[in-house]
Amino acid sequence: MMTKSFLLFSLLLSFSAWAQPQLCKPELETLPVQAGGRVKPFHVFATETFRYISGTTSIEEGRRPVESFCRLTLKAFGMPAEIAVKVKVEHIDAKKLLGLKDSDSFILATDLEPKMGLIKTEITKQKENNGYKKELNKISGRFNAYESIIQARAWTVPEVINGQVLWRPIAEFLTEDKVQKRMESGDATPLLSIFRDVEAEYKKVETDHYLIELQYVKYNLFQWAMLVSLIAILVTVLIRKMSWGIALTSITVIIQIVNITLRVIISGRAPVTNMYETVMFSGLGGLILALIIFSLRRERVYLIAGLCLNILCLMMMKFANNMLDPAISPLVPVLRDNFWLSTHVTTVILSYAALALSWVIANIVLIKARFFTISKADYKYQTDLIYTCIKFGVVLLSTGVILGGVWADYSWGRFWGWDPKETWSLIVLLVYMCILHGRYTSWIREQRFVPLVAGAFMSVMMAWFGVNYILASGLHSYGFSEGGAVFLGSFFLIQIVVIILGVIGRKTPV
Amino acid sequence: MDTLVYYYRKVEQLFGSLKFAVIIIAIFATTLAFGTFMESYHGTEYANRLVYKSLPFMGLQLLMFLSILFATLLRLPPKKHLYGFYTIHAGLITLFIGSFVTYKAGVDGTMTLAPNLATREIILNHDILKIQFPQDGKEVIVDLPYSAFAKNVNLEYQDIKIGNYLPFADQKLTWVKSENEAGARDHSTHYRLYNDNFGEELTMSLNPNSDFQNTMQLGLLNIHYMPDVLADCFGDNNPEGLIIWDVDQGKCSSPTGKEIKKMKALTGKNLFMVNFEGKTLRFFPEMSPLPLDEKLQLQSTSPFRILSKNLFTSNPHLFVFGKKAAYFDKETKKWSTHAIPDGGVIDLPWMGFRLEVMEHRDGEYPVLAPSYIKPVQENSQIVRGDLKAIEIDINGQKFWVKTGEPIAYTKDGGRIQFELTKKSIMLPYELVLDQFKMDNDPGTNNPASYESFLSLFQGNKGTTKHHVFMNNPLKHESFTFYQASYFQTQAGPYGSVLSVNFDPGRFWKYLGSLLLVLGSIWHYVLRRSHLKKKGLSDDDQKLFTF
Repeated sequence: MMTKSFLLFSLLLSFSAWAQPQLCKPELETLPVQAGGRVKPFHVFATETFRYISGTTSIEEGRRPVESFCRLTLKAFGMPAEIAVKVKVEHIDAKKLLGLKDSDSFILATDLEPKMGLIKTEITKQKENNGYKKELNKISGRFNAYESIIQARAWTVPEVINGQVLWRPIAEFLTEDKVQKRMESGDATPLLSIFRDVEAEYKKVETDHYLIELQYVKYNLFQWAMLVSLIAILVTVLIRKMSWGIALTSITVIIQIVNITLRVIISGRAPVTNMYETVMFSGLGGLILALIIFSLRRERVYLIAGLCLNILCLMMMKFANNMLDPAISPLVPVLRDNFWLSTHVTTVILSYAALALSWVIANIVLIKARFFTISKADYKYQTDLIYTCIKFGVVLLSTGVILGGVWADYSWGRFWGWDPKETWSLIVLLVYMCILHGRYTSWIREQRFVPLVAGAFMSVMMAWFGVNYILASGLHSYGFSEGGAVFLGSFFLIQIVVIILGVIGRKTPV
Repeated sequence: MDTLVYYYRKVEQLFGSLKFAVIIIAIFATTLAFGTFMESYHGTEYANRLVYKSLPFMGLQLLMFLSILFATLLRLPPKKHLYGFYTIHAGLITLFIGSFVTYKAGVDGTMTLAPNLATREIILNHDILKIQFPQDGKEVIVDLPYSAFAKNVNLEYQDIKIGNYLPFADQKLTWVKSENEAGARDHSTHYRLYNDNFGEELTMSLNPNSDFQNTMQLGLLNIHYMPDVLADCFGDNNPEGLIIWDVDQGKCSSPTGKEIKKMKALTGKNLFMVNFEGKTLRFFPEMSPLPLDEKLQLQSTSPFRILSKNLFTSNPHLFVFGKKAAYFDKETKKWSTHAIPDGGVIDLPWMGFRLEVMEHRDGEYPVLAPSYIKPVQENSQIVRGDLKAIEIDINGQKFWVKTGEPIAYTKDGGRIQFELTKKSIMLPYELVLDQFKMDNDPGTNNPASYESFLSLFQGNKGTTKHHVFMNNPLKHESFTFYQASYFQTQAGPYGSVLSVNFDPGRFWKYLGSLLLVLGSIWHYVLRRSHLKKKGLSDDDQKLFTF
């Protein structure tokens, strides 16, 4: 019966040339949608879905994501929409299978449709769960997401019945009698009015709290923070105006605190539950730590290192969306404890930030000693500055590891379980302990201390990213995401090259 | 005495030296890193057996402990500026002591609670072999080694020899020569059946000693593995839909009007009278392919069979004969036989399915024998090697006991039962799962919370009700019960898995942790500024570090 009325209604709409331009307007951005286990503005849902399918949020030139999403959805009602949705393809063998050139990164969804059988057959043939199989599964998932849009299943609408909110796919929600009633009452924009009323009723029964996310996404304060950080570093390094640098750094910190606070309000938890958030938090944490150490030691290099680290983190958040997913998702049950999240994870991430500061300064010193000149006294002084960062890092890390043990004991019944994430955080601590102990033997003097500190940060990167991208197992599987192995491999390679260059042919005698 | 003191000083200087600390920390960190990779590739249990709970790793931890201990002793009597250092090292020593107490006296296991069934059993991690003699009411428990590799247990109990123990094994397919005289007609085949959405590999055999069967059901599709001599007769569309099969001669034929006489039995079933070499045999092929004697008893020893293909036309039935396959096509209403070329596939008339022969053997049959492998982990799941097995030898007769497959052996009229299982302990009280509740994130199937509503029965002390969920364990008489997992029973309702823990080292670990954190702050953050106030130079400060 439902299918019959849906088909009849589709027929009615397909003859209504007004339906698509009337409904698919930017006003839909504020409409609440339930997806991925929570309620979010339609704009956020549309951008996240397109980013997942195509790797980009811009599907049609000059049209907002909600407009394109709406136009694609109305295809299910028989309304034609010439939208070329591209599906991302990354693996070289998957490209070959789909008849793409090596340089192609996308396939049109309409071209992919007849090849889905081929992809599914190929998946069943793969015995090993290798990168090729994973990519085929991803392509299949992306196509399914596209299919659920054009079948009007993805877009859910809240319908208030007897004071209860029921979420319905638009294919079920948008019925002929609803539109008919509006038209009979003389409504010139019946479709849009239906959705306006739905939104108003939802806000009345539930809340308009979800709209904070729209502001959060639209203002994108992190971009502004990146810009201010860049200006701050230019002012500090080139113009050498410390007061301006401090002022601009403080502005960056304030902008980021505001944005992180917004994210905390939206998600209702500490902002350290996935890779994107840990990078976001470590950038800010590192900058604040740098400001604290700077205020204690009055040394410009801390401010520069903090700004460098913050810019790196903000750039990763902006450009590495393949690796860092900015979407806010519900947490796995075991992590739903704000006290431990806000203590254990934040302490560990802050420790990584402090160690990252030591890494930035160590690399600056390496490069300076290789390509410029640095006096012996200055070299020694810089190692002392690095040592200060490591001290903060080590204290925070040991506290974080212990807090993790206490949380594990409280939640899972064991203080220590050799889970890869906890083991790697211990390895990081041991690596830095090794350097700190070795510093007072004849084995690690200044000339070895700096490259070792630069190299030791690879253990932090392994604990932070490598466990998720390379080892990918364990109880900390909440943050597991794909696509970071190449990033991590490149990082290790570049770091090793910098260390080798810094050690061999060093200009400055030490 | 002086010599003793001399050697003690030597030992103290060796283990307490900074260089020894650097070496041991580096080895320890490298071993841990190796362990994490092993865990990633081969799973938690393998990593535990190979690294974290192995004897060499215990030795490494002992060396770490000695390094910390002697580094502290070496810097005694106490110096004020080393208070932070002492606190850190005291914290580490206390942590080690706490961990050792947990290792020796702690309990870490799981409790599986089916709905409304009382249980008091905690399953531990160690494997055991349980040998039971029901007649004598005797039970023997053999503790199996906690090893990552295959190990010969080499134990004997009466006539029972306990041999190789495989902590990680796979069922390895091996081919055994058929001892059947008609071995040439005894064949087995490995197929791949697939369509765009589904793929399955099937091994089928005619030999009754094989671990693989000759019939199989995949959803609505029934698959029958038959001797290859029958293949062509399946494709022959005779009006009665019958096949006459002479098992001894290995031949089949389609009945002709002269050979076969069709009648109706009193029950309304079709009765076929067939003349074979002057003898008349009666068949009710709709009921059985075997003939009936004059007393209407089935003649199971008869070499003759009559198969009625009409029984297999309404539902999807696939008959496979090694490198040939036959089926009834509902569209053409005809049976057809198809040869499957080497390396090729044939299309089947159901849902785009295709059939491919992967391997075919004549005169051999496949068996599955446990064989040691390193387990393989993918997406946090063990996909190969999650089987454990132990070899038993009773008077030269060898067999494997596998996890989840207890074996009963008959010897001298008595039964011996073997079971490879986990060690368990019993609690003095019982727990019952009254209800298991799982909430999902709105609009998804992703679990948002698991909750167990429990009743705790303590005999005379009465019954108490408890609610256990993530981050909210139940603590009772030194044991702590944590919500760990869940499962669905065959009847439908969910059961709950609790992680159960008794940790007598907990206090020491917490104390050690506290000392470690406070000591780190003292040593690294507070001490330097204190020394600066005292006016010590940087070099002087370094002398006091560590």
